[in-house]
Amino acid sequence: MNRRHVLAAASGIAALALVGACSSGGSGGSGDSGDADWSIPDTDPTATIQVLGHQDADGIQEVIDAFNEDHPTITVEYESVPFDQLNSVLDARIGNQDGNPDVFWADQPRIPALAARGYMTDITDQFAADTGVWDPAPLASGQYDGRMWAVPIANSTQLLYYNVELVEAAGDPLPSAAIEDRMTWEEVTERAANAVEAGATNGLLFGQVNRYYQLQPLPMSLGGSAGGTGDDLLTPDVTSEPWVQAMEWYGELFAEGLSPLGVTPEQSDAEFLTGNTAYMVQGPWLLPKLTDAEFEWGVAPHPYFEGGEVVTPTGSWSLAMSAFSDEREAAAIFMRWMSVEHGGGYAANYASPELPASPEGKEQYFQRDVFDSDAGQLAAEIIDFETSNTAVPRLQTVGFVEFEEIIGRAFSDVANGADPAAALESASSELETAWAQYR
Amino acid sequence: MSRSSSAVSAAPSGAQRRLGASPAPRRQLRRRKELFWAVVFLAPALVAIGSLRIAPTISAVVSSLYSGFPGGVRPPVFSGFDNYLDLWGNEAFRETVLRTVVFNVIINPLQVAIALLVAVLMTRRIAAPGLWRTLVFIPAVVPIVGSSIVWSIALRPDGPVNAIITALGGRPQPFLTSPDQALASIMLIASWIGIGYWMIFLISGLRAIPSEYYEAAKLDRAGPIRTFFQITIPLLKRPLLFVLVADTVANFVLFVPIQMLTNGGPQNSTTMQMFNAYRTTYTYSSKNLGAAEVVILTIIMLVFVALQFRLLRDDDRAAKGTS
Repeated sequence: MNRRHVLAAASGIAALALVGACSSGGSGGSGDSGDADWSIPDTDPTATIQVLGHQDADGIQEVIDAFNEDHPTITVEYESVPFDQLNSVLDARIGNQDGNPDVFWADQPRIPALAARGYMTDITDQFAADTGVWDPAPLASGQYDGRMWAVPIANSTQLLYYNVELVEAAGDPLPSAAIEDRMTWEEVTERAANAVEAGATNGLLFGQVNRYYQLQPLPMSLGGSAGGTGDDLLTPDVTSEPWVQAMEWYGELFAEGLSPLGVTPEQSDAEFLTGNTAYMVQGPWLLPKLTDAEFEWGVAPHPYFEGGEVVTPTGSWSLAMSAFSDEREAAAIFMRWMSVEHGGGYAANYASPELPASPEGKEQYFQRDVFDSDAGQLAAEIIDFETSNTAVPRLQTVGFVEFEEIIGRAFSDVANGADPAAALESASSELETAWAQYR
Repeated sequence: MSRSSSAVSAAPSGAQRRLGASPAPRRQLRRRKELFWAVVFLAPALVAIGSLRIAPTISAVVSSLYSGFPGGVRPPVFSGFDNYLDLWGNEAFRETVLRTVVFNVIINPLQVAIALLVAVLMTRRIAAPGLWRTLVFIPAVVPIVGSSIVWSIALRPDGPVNAIITALGGRPQPFLTSPDQALASIMLIASWIGIGYWMIFLISGLRAIPSEYYEAAKLDRAGPIRTFFQITIPLLKRPLLFVLVADTVANFVLFVPIQMLTNGGPQNSTTMQMFNAYRTTYTYSSKNLGAAEVVILTIIMLVFVALQFRLLRDDDRAAKGTS
């Protein structure tokens, strides 16, 4: 807990000036983030902090208990809200400006938007000494406008899981887990069709169906952009040839019955575990669940389009401090413990954590039981490679909230049979309207 | 409630004036006492109306005249009717308004008509009327979130409804996944819930019709259809109009099935004004623009309700004219 004192007023004013410059019409709206007249103390204060997250409260309790062993004077009151409601709950709570919550789970691609809205405390100075701890991508995801707004507690990547029995029944060889043998989407589509023909219910299942997080690599593999261009990435770019082509491929998966309609992201893991799905794209969080699988499974690297680039999703969750926290010191101690100490207290103590955001955390993570099996070992190698070589962050823009919603609906329309070009055209014009306020 | 209280307080003071004997201070004291109790009894209702109805409405109207950065932190600036002009210039919003109006023009008469038919049926001499009524009413007591989940499974392309259709020799339907069928599917679900609920009000209305009218109609040899249109409908007009107004309001603010089943899609085919206002306010955090959308929705709803109340007033005049 050796925390150095930080320069206060000067950086505070600088932060305020920066945020003020980027805001459109708001004055002094970035809450109290400008007054960097505080630091993380050497001795713990006695305080109660409120924490808002999307993780199940029972699961988080283990983490909080471990935190309390190290910091007994700080009481953590954790409140869980479903993932889908986290953002609207944050709007309401932080809008109240009453210091509840002090700390909240922040979806990494939303950090620029939330920081611009004045929801977060600028923690650049308080965490200046820790920036070397994390991998570069998760660190960058917490930065916006030259300041730091959140500390990463997790990272992510995607793997191609397969059901050995169904792949063999289709008469195809088992996919290789070696990076150099990475399959193309064209090959996976063909294999999925073979599996369905041989009796599998689902040939290929996207675990995060219709979500930008998992589908972003499709157009990007064909040479498309992340979805926005121009200054501040606020010009929609979702109607280019690669985007249309990627969505045509995606729509056909559903039209030809290779992918199921109506299996939500919340239901997808269970769907794969029933043993009716040949191939599934999903994150490392599926690995612990697979220890209960009643069938043999394997992993392969995330596919790419033939002749295209290899691109994989990345990013996960960070912790941010509310601009109106009334227990900043205790909140910062908690955030630091969760993300920095012991390779990240969250990753070290949560029963089934996401991929940690620091090399030290990852090292511990790969020693978990789920990586013991042969397939688990192969998964660890793939995860390690993708996070440092092929990962591409999501569109880093203030307009991400609108982007994610609008493009997600376009994906869903394509899956339901809409013409891909028309769906993307309509999304582009909706984005044009929604982003106008930021330009 | 306020009307009946003032009537009560007016009566004794009138009596005092006629007597003219009470000394002024006593009268004043009594009046003050009455006033005190009137305030005490009215207070809960007035506070509730003020804080739950009037204040939010005023705040929505005021908020709609400001524009600001999304989120609830940065202070918005006054921008007059800019939000309304922006909405008017937005084709997607105009389509949403039109869709909401069309939805309501279809669903409200449809629901009330079916509820009335079922209510008439339930007041006939049938075996086990309580059982039938309970069965029809059950959807209204199931929490709407629960019934939405059940319907989402039932209407899945590989769900039980399509299994039945296929078993009967039909072709499976896309339902909620098709832009042509999603809105109709939402209407089906809303009606499944609504019909049983509104039926209860209409049954009580039917029961209030004196049986002499039916006996007279019988003596005049009126058939069941003529009896229905010339006896039942005219005498049921008041409960019928209440049901129509309340149903209209409920359907204008229909939200849960849309959010849970279609999220406004496919291709915005189920994006109604209420859902759109929610999305603007909570998903995009544009509270001021969301307030403008709510104000527009409220105005459209009030126009609909005013038209229906006009029908009620005409009914009064007609009734007075005939009596």
